[in-house]
Amino acid sequence: MRKAISGAIYFLSAAIGVLAFVYPFFIGRQVTGSIGIAHGPDAPLVTTALVGLSLIALLVELQGQAISAKTVAMLGVLVAITSVLRFVEVAIPMPGGFSPIFAPIILAGYVFGGRFGFLMGTFTLLVSGLITGGVGPWLPYQMFTAGWVGLTAGWMGNTLRPTPRTLKGGLGFGGWKLGLLAAFGFTWGLLYGVIINIYFWPFAVGPVEQTWGPGIGLGETLARYAAFYAASSLGWDLIRAGGNVALILLLGAPTVRTLTRFQRRFHFEVAHGQG
Amino acid sequence: MARVDARAWVVWTLTTLVVASSTRNPLYVLLLLMITLVVSVSWASAQDHRRALSSLRFAAIAVPMAALFNGLTAHLGDTVLMRLPAWLPLLGGPVTLEALSFGATNGLTLTAIFGGFATFNQVTSARDLVRLAPRAFHEAGVVLSIALTFIPHTTRSLARIREAQAVRGHRVRGLRDWLPIFVPLLVSGLERSMGLAEAMVARGYGAISDREQPLHTQSMLALGLFAVLGGWLTWLFLPAQKAVAMGAMVAGGGLIVGALRLAGRAVHHTTYRTHHWTTRDTLIVLGCGLTLVAVLVPLPVTDRGTLYYAPYPRLTLPTFDPFIGLGLLGLLLPAVLANRDTIDRA
Repeated sequence: MRKAISGAIYFLSAAIGVLAFVYPFFIGRQVTGSIGIAHGPDAPLVTTALVGLSLIALLVELQGQAISAKTVAMLGVLVAITSVLRFVEVAIPMPGGFSPIFAPIILAGYVFGGRFGFLMGTFTLLVSGLITGGVGPWLPYQMFTAGWVGLTAGWMGNTLRPTPRTLKGGLGFGGWKLGLLAAFGFTWGLLYGVIINIYFWPFAVGPVEQTWGPGIGLGETLARYAAFYAASSLGWDLIRAGGNVALILLLGAPTVRTLTRFQRRFHFEVAHGQG
Repeated sequence: MARVDARAWVVWTLTTLVVASSTRNPLYVLLLLMITLVVSVSWASAQDHRRALSSLRFAAIAVPMAALFNGLTAHLGDTVLMRLPAWLPLLGGPVTLEALSFGATNGLTLTAIFGGFATFNQVTSARDLVRLAPRAFHEAGVVLSIALTFIPHTTRSLARIREAQAVRGHRVRGLRDWLPIFVPLLVSGLERSMGLAEAMVARGYGAISDREQPLHTQSMLALGLFAVLGGWLTWLFLPAQKAVAMGAMVAGGGLIVGALRLAGRAVHHTTYRTHHWTTRDTLIVLGCGLTLVAVLVPLPVTDRGTLYYAPYPRLTLPTFDPFIGLGLLGLLLPAVLANRDTIDRA
């Protein structure tokens, strides 16, 4: 029962996220009048609010099931380390959309599971937004997307690591698993860009109705979006995706080894007294 | 009187966001942009005066980019400047003055939104914001506080590790050279987090963490999400049922917020050094209220039609309603109430 509800929460919030990202492609289809401006200018706002709501729901669900002191401490420190890496990114200009924050999120999610990965992704984006002065309407989207990067990395970890808590688990990491994880990083590097761009799209082109003739269908919009994407960010995203691959290949094995070692060391129990 | 309460700044920033996204009239947008600049400069201490003008730099990029993109891809409007050959996919067709100016307005709107948030980032501190986290996010707030506390530590230990490696003749030339820096950073950080976790457990932190999320909170979340999603889908695909859709979305949002409060009720914590809400904070919020009323509520004296300006089909001068303009000035209150002494001391 509990599991089913949990699953429903994941699914519904993901569906809202997906809808938030694709709705600009549909909203124009029902506007058949002249170049009307009846509604729409506030559509991006509504979307931000809805994404924020589903983020809140997912966070309540994920942290509600009791975070232990160990998880809290480790999460806090890992978020700090990753945010400092992002600070390095701001200080030293790297080419294009390269960002060192995704590799740690993916690796931590892979080792510690989806829940940890989601929280790590969300909090990393939040904290680094706070310290670099990057708070804005884009923040819920970034948090949501980065959270899903970590969550899916956790799912990958669950399927790839047959015995997560035994001694051998994770230590024999490398080879094809590393390659798979790198491919995973590449995919998310591109996907992250596509998603953040779609969110940006209604802001950039204005209320969709205004650039929408009555006869223009979905295909035309997709073509327009593709052009927007190719012109504005394909290069950046390729660099980000490539950077993820490089970082995962380079840091993946030692990081997973370290995290797994600490995961086992962190496995201390508190002996509860009687009363 | 010390700083303005972070909650008042949140209201102010959200108001600028609402205003910026409910108009495409360049005159209002420009006024809004100037207001955010004035507020930002009036709250800037001596050292971040340059940062206060960062939205101007943003405008220098955003406005031409948006104008160019819209001008090249939206082939609407009557004043044709030039024609691109029709065989070009997407780009082919007339390039019009109207499309260019509409794109420029979009760029300006983006700049105004950016300006509002740049001001917000400048005047609020990360700690104040973490305090705003609702009670249900108590654990999340703890994680955030730990992360914010450890960031200076991590920066220092990063510098230390780099120095130690440099002494050994290590130089950072490429990505590969980060490995001997990253791994010690990770290990030392995790080592420290172990100590922290043990200290937290020793002080009884783990004692309350055995509780489980009650089933009804979970169900409320799921139901709320379902209502929001259903409402939104109805809104998009069944235009006739707008009222139902709106109701479902509001109800769903209410359920989620309710679940949040319910989850928060299980958390008991005390705050250290609470911030007191002052008259100035109330005034700032009232000013935002004035602006919202002027922009969102159809009043007999205001002409809300001026908000919905579009340059198509032929570019005309946008009209300006002085009452809405006056209403926007409500956002200027933080600048009027800024207190030079406290800013420079901070």
